[in-house]
Amino acid sequence: MRRYLTKRLGMMLVTLLLITLLTFILMHVVPGGPFTNDKQIPESVLSALRKKYKLDEPLAVQYLRYLGGLARFDFGPSLKYTGKSVNDFIQSGFPFSARLGALTLVFVLLASIPMGVVSALRSGRWQDALLMGAATLGVTIPSFVIATGLLYIFAFRLGWLPTFGVAKWQGYVLPVAALGGYSISFLARLTRSSLLEVMGQDYIRTARAKGLRETRVIIRHALPNALIPVVTVLGPTVANLLTGSFVIEKIFAIPGMGAHFVNSITQRDYTTIMGTTVFYATFLISMVFIVDLFYCLLDPRIRLE
Amino acid sequence: MTKRIALLLAALVLIGSVALAAPAQELVFALQNEPDGFDPSVTNNSFASPFLTNVFEGLVTYDTTDGSMIPGNAESWTVSDDGLTYTFTLREGLKWSDGSPLTAKDYLYTFKRILTPETAAQYLNLVTDYIEGAQEYYDGAGSDEALGVKAPDDRTLVLTLKTPAPYYLSILTMWTFSPVQQATVEANGDQWTNKPDTYIVNGPFKVEAFNMGESVVLVKNPEYYDADKVKLERITFRYITDSATALMAYEAGEIDGSRGFPPNDYARLRASDAGVVMEAAYATTYYDINNAKAPYDNPLVRKALNLAVDRVSLIDNVIQTPALPAFSLIGPGYVVDGVDFVEGRSNFGLSETADVEGARAALAEAGYPNGEGFPTLQLSYYTNDTIKKVVEALAAMFTENLNIKVEISNEDWAVYYDNIQAGNYEVAAMGWGADYLHPMTFLPLLKTGDANNLVGYSNPEYDALVEQAQSETDPVAAMEIMRKAESLSAEEYPLLNLYYRANTMLLRAKVQGFYFDYSGSIFLKTAFIAE
Repeated sequence: MRRYLTKRLGMMLVTLLLITLLTFILMHVVPGGPFTNDKQIPESVLSALRKKYKLDEPLAVQYLRYLGGLARFDFGPSLKYTGKSVNDFIQSGFPFSARLGALTLVFVLLASIPMGVVSALRSGRWQDALLMGAATLGVTIPSFVIATGLLYIFAFRLGWLPTFGVAKWQGYVLPVAALGGYSISFLARLTRSSLLEVMGQDYIRTARAKGLRETRVIIRHALPNALIPVVTVLGPTVANLLTGSFVIEKIFAIPGMGAHFVNSITQRDYTTIMGTTVFYATFLISMVFIVDLFYCLLDPRIRLE
Repeated sequence: MTKRIALLLAALVLIGSVALAAPAQELVFALQNEPDGFDPSVTNNSFASPFLTNVFEGLVTYDTTDGSMIPGNAESWTVSDDGLTYTFTLREGLKWSDGSPLTAKDYLYTFKRILTPETAAQYLNLVTDYIEGAQEYYDGAGSDEALGVKAPDDRTLVLTLKTPAPYYLSILTMWTFSPVQQATVEANGDQWTNKPDTYIVNGPFKVEAFNMGESVVLVKNPEYYDADKVKLERITFRYITDSATALMAYEAGEIDGSRGFPPNDYARLRASDAGVVMEAAYATTYYDINNAKAPYDNPLVRKALNLAVDRVSLIDNVIQTPALPAFSLIGPGYVVDGVDFVEGRSNFGLSETADVEGARAALAEAGYPNGEGFPTLQLSYYTNDTIKKVVEALAAMFTENLNIKVEISNEDWAVYYDNIQAGNYEVAAMGWGADYLHPMTFLPLLKTGDANNLVGYSNPEYDALVEQAQSETDPVAAMEIMRKAESLSAEEYPLLNLYYRANTMLLRAKVQGFYFDYSGSIFLKTAFIAE
């Protein structure tokens, strides 16, 4: 077990290193630079800026210095926002994104799995058609459409909820619903198809033949196995939800991290591109690792080497 | 019975107190963009204007009732007869927001800080181009003695210019020339603008809270010399980057105003009297035509493009916001002796709607009768929803009116701007917003060798006139020279001028006493919430 853990941890670090290298190369390959403003900046100021942020050094040196900073959890200064560091962005934005993401996750789990189970058990009947119809809509309608629609109806027309921000708890309702829409639909469909498959297995017939009650057959024997694919996609889903959504945070004016992922790229804010990528990648890799650990709990056939 | 009377009295008191209570002097205003910084010496970012305009003040400022230039930190000034030396006398007892005295030495420090390469001041040119010895100081070859900024005593600041630029006072209204406090800058480096207690300011308001990505809260600065006139107690600038959300929040009554709103809603909001504030902007939207590249090096081709465009249709049907058709670079707004720069100006042969016949004739004269033999026009723009619509409309006008082929392409601003600077384009979306209210903010755009001349237009006669205007001390004479320069260039159609912009914002009618200037800055010094 310990050997397995060290090996996985080592692999995670190598993956992370490769991600930083690739991101670093890609962002420098893209034309344009961080100091292109809407107004022309004098050449002498540009060179002063390049010097200030050490962009005048060879790329390899810049990369190694970046890794050095990373080892000290220092993501460096933002090239676009004077006086701000990438750590500032993460420290101020992540709590908002994580809070919204965690609430959404709870909502997603509470809604999607029961939806999938009910549809599977009532497969082919009206309950199934209704739930899966809703799920198809949830997967196909983009979140910004859902968000704008919800905002218009519940905040603007009815005035029940605030139109922006999360200063009050009511502010979370609409973003959670809009952000969770896709995941709920996707996970519900996944749960349904996976459960349907499991219900046709021999061991389910055996369990029934033993005379177990149907609820026990489902909860004790079918569901844990049916949830393996769900847990698999849950890893990336958690990472996505917790690190913030550009679209949802923009529409509801939530000061999370989402904006930095997109804006840093259009602004060529190199350190912020690196910082947000590394942050997200670390999160994603850790989640995938946790998912792997979960497999053992769910399925005794899966053993760690 | 007594109970009833008591109840009645209580009700009366309640009603009375509601009626008598003055409205809270607080304002919540939505902004769609976060600035790249809050350091007035460093940034040239227009998104910083709501903050820098209200928490800092320079030597001169604008009157919030009529927009005329008035004394700010300086109570008076004199200009030497040769127009080169400006001597400012600061007000007595000026203070920083931390209560410490603000003197001419602070101004001197600020100028020197701008002239230090490490500061990376984006508006550096506004100092080095005009102040004696400034470029040398920046390059490390100058000295304190040779620099044309002196503070002989605490209340006197003397600026010496290289040439008598009579418009330098309007340049001095810009936030770049607001003082910064040496103590806090030196103690905190470029992070002095991050926290309210280190962000020492000298304007009508100061910062109470910086909530990154969320909001910036300003409160009245009791140390401001004119604090008696400042009525607003608190201003919350809330970042709502999605303008549609901001509009909903405004219409739902959650905010008092918003800098932006979706252009498609303009007509509806205007019609319903919802509080659209509109001010002509000193800014022009034009398309760069590559004057150095065939066939666009031919003025007739450029004229044909200019004639083929229906400017009214672009404004009414495409951008759907108030704007005025533009036939040349300089828009209305600059007034000398009650006469606007553009008054009585020619249309330079252009019309508000398309002149198809004229356009075709010009193209035929250039050697492309009925568009035959004309290479496919490359029309480029930077990724932006509104500009996309304009470009598509332009392409249709060129195709239909000139019978030429048009190819559209777009790139991110960072890539796009590099290409424009390198001359890799034919016709490309561009625009210019004035830095200060004077035609001289536009004229260098067509001067040979100017860093902002991106079209490669070059006319020695024009260059000479611009230089002549820069040193003419009589404003009326300078205006005549600038007009001559403008018509000289306009008759060669170096640009495809489309329209003079207007700034719009949403603000409830109860907010009064503010000043919305030509650059879209909002001065809230004397603003108040009316009952």
